[in-house]
Amino acid sequence: MSAAPADARREEIAIRASADASSRAPVLVFFATAVAWLLFGSLAGELASLALHWPDLLGFASFLTFGRIRTAHLNAMIYGWASLAMCGVSLWMIPRLVHQQLSWPRLAMAGAALWNVGLVIGIGGILAGRNDGLEWLEMDRALADPWLVAGGACVGIPLLATLARRTVDHLYVSVWYVIGAFLWFPVLFLVGNWPFGGVESAAVNWFYAHNALGLWLTAVNVGAAYYFIPKVLGRPVYSYQLSLLGFWTLAFFYALNGMHHLIGGPLPTWMITTSIVASVLMIIPVVAVAVNHHMTVVGRFAALRYSPTLRFVVIGAMAYTAVSLQGMFTALREVNRITHFTQWTIAHSHVGVYGFVTFVLFGSMYYVLPRLAGREWPSARLIQWHFWLSLGGIGLYVVALTVVGVLQGLVLLEPSAPFQRSVEVTIPGLYARSLAGLVLGAGHLLFALHCAALLRAPARRAMPALLEARPVVVRDAGAVQEPAS
Amino acid sequence: MIPSSVAVVAMVLLLGASALALFVWAWRRGQFDHLDEQSRAVFDARDPRIERPWESEAQRRERERAHGPPLPAQPGEWGGAA
Repeated sequence: MSAAPADARREEIAIRASADASSRAPVLVFFATAVAWLLFGSLAGELASLALHWPDLLGFASFLTFGRIRTAHLNAMIYGWASLAMCGVSLWMIPRLVHQQLSWPRLAMAGAALWNVGLVIGIGGILAGRNDGLEWLEMDRALADPWLVAGGACVGIPLLATLARRTVDHLYVSVWYVIGAFLWFPVLFLVGNWPFGGVESAAVNWFYAHNALGLWLTAVNVGAAYYFIPKVLGRPVYSYQLSLLGFWTLAFFYALNGMHHLIGGPLPTWMITTSIVASVLMIIPVVAVAVNHHMTVVGRFAALRYSPTLRFVVIGAMAYTAVSLQGMFTALREVNRITHFTQWTIAHSHVGVYGFVTFVLFGSMYYVLPRLAGREWPSARLIQWHFWLSLGGIGLYVVALTVVGVLQGLVLLEPSAPFQRSVEVTIPGLYARSLAGLVLGAGHLLFALHCAALLRAPARRAMPALLEARPVVVRDAGAVQEPAS
Repeated sequence: MIPSSVAVVAMVLLLGASALALFVWAWRRGQFDHLDEQSRAVFDARDPRIERPWESEAQRRERERAHGPPLPAQPGEWGGAA
């Protein structure tokens, strides 16, 4: 690589700069609105948590009751924060990886606007009492969902068009994950919202909800981890074969997973059992990804002290392994009979959506935003605070709810125990969750303020070179100084 | 019981078949060839040459042997603050 001609390197830098420039505006809009939904979702989550141990606290307003505010929290986090930030990361990564400008960036901007309109209508509707009654699909299917479908299409089409115009033959593994997610999710969302009835509705609901996690949230964020870990470390993934094995086994097996949520429900036993088997088969992509990420970082863990991007993404990758293994065991009937209908499930879902997805997205944004803004993060200390508040908050959250979840499940299985006892054993965990929510919310507030400070900084640094492409300076024969990537 | 599962079974088959079709396309287009080379597609020419302050002397020498003289890392290189 060092022997590459200077002209080729200049061309490479120009391609990267034009790819970044083409995606800059839509990515910034997606990130900005994602952070706004993160703050709203955090507040809603905290209020929902408080309502569980202080049930009369918010009873004066119907929109603050648990059934509405908890649902608003979930939708704000999944479709607001995570999905919008994932769109931003995807729109930034794909042009870079296929060496092409983003096609139709204005269409992507329109997508951000439409998606946000859908969210305002959908989540506003939930707070007003309009709820479709399906897990992860509570937003009104007639008033809100069409906006989301149109908005999603406006993001997916530019990505696919960019892919079609690529100037490289090979698709890096991150491209597979991201493009796969953008092909799968529209199908899942449309099918999930189809008005099935009776038992079929429950089956399709969990087919959707679990696949939204595995083929949307997981796919984009594993793809992002495969981009940022090697990029920061400056070394390729340990085994590219394993990375492809991970992607293709996810693509083949994951769709069967969702039915394990209905263990004990009125579905054919073969269907549940097939889903449990598929859940256990997930060990193949999970171990493939875990081994690959670990072996890529091994020997360089000191890098986590230097790079917030790497710190967040590596912790996120670890959480992916943890949540996937936990999910596999939870799918087994012997474990499920204890954990089903308990706080364990809430802890498990937060390891996934927060420990994995949100951490990878934070890490990605720490890398991408300075390069788009053309200036560096104003404060290393704020990044440190954000990291430790996030890690401490989610650690407390998960430990507390996991412990009380098991206790709750054991009490529920005790025939002589009154139901009231199964609630009482969770109360310490519920208080701990509210505390953890405050800690996480403080971290989110710092992150939002830091993002605003970065974007509003009046002047560029004297030496912002790493953040933007600049003219190549030839020092002496053959020695070329390029800007940072 | 079976009628209650038709939609999910159909969707699983559809997703599986589309994954299979994509896999065949990828195989025919040579997406699984030259994997070592492809694993480096994430890098620009400059990436592997940047000095990594966390690397040991041996790791630094290995990087220099493989990629040439190191380039100094610039402020905020790793996504941090200056």
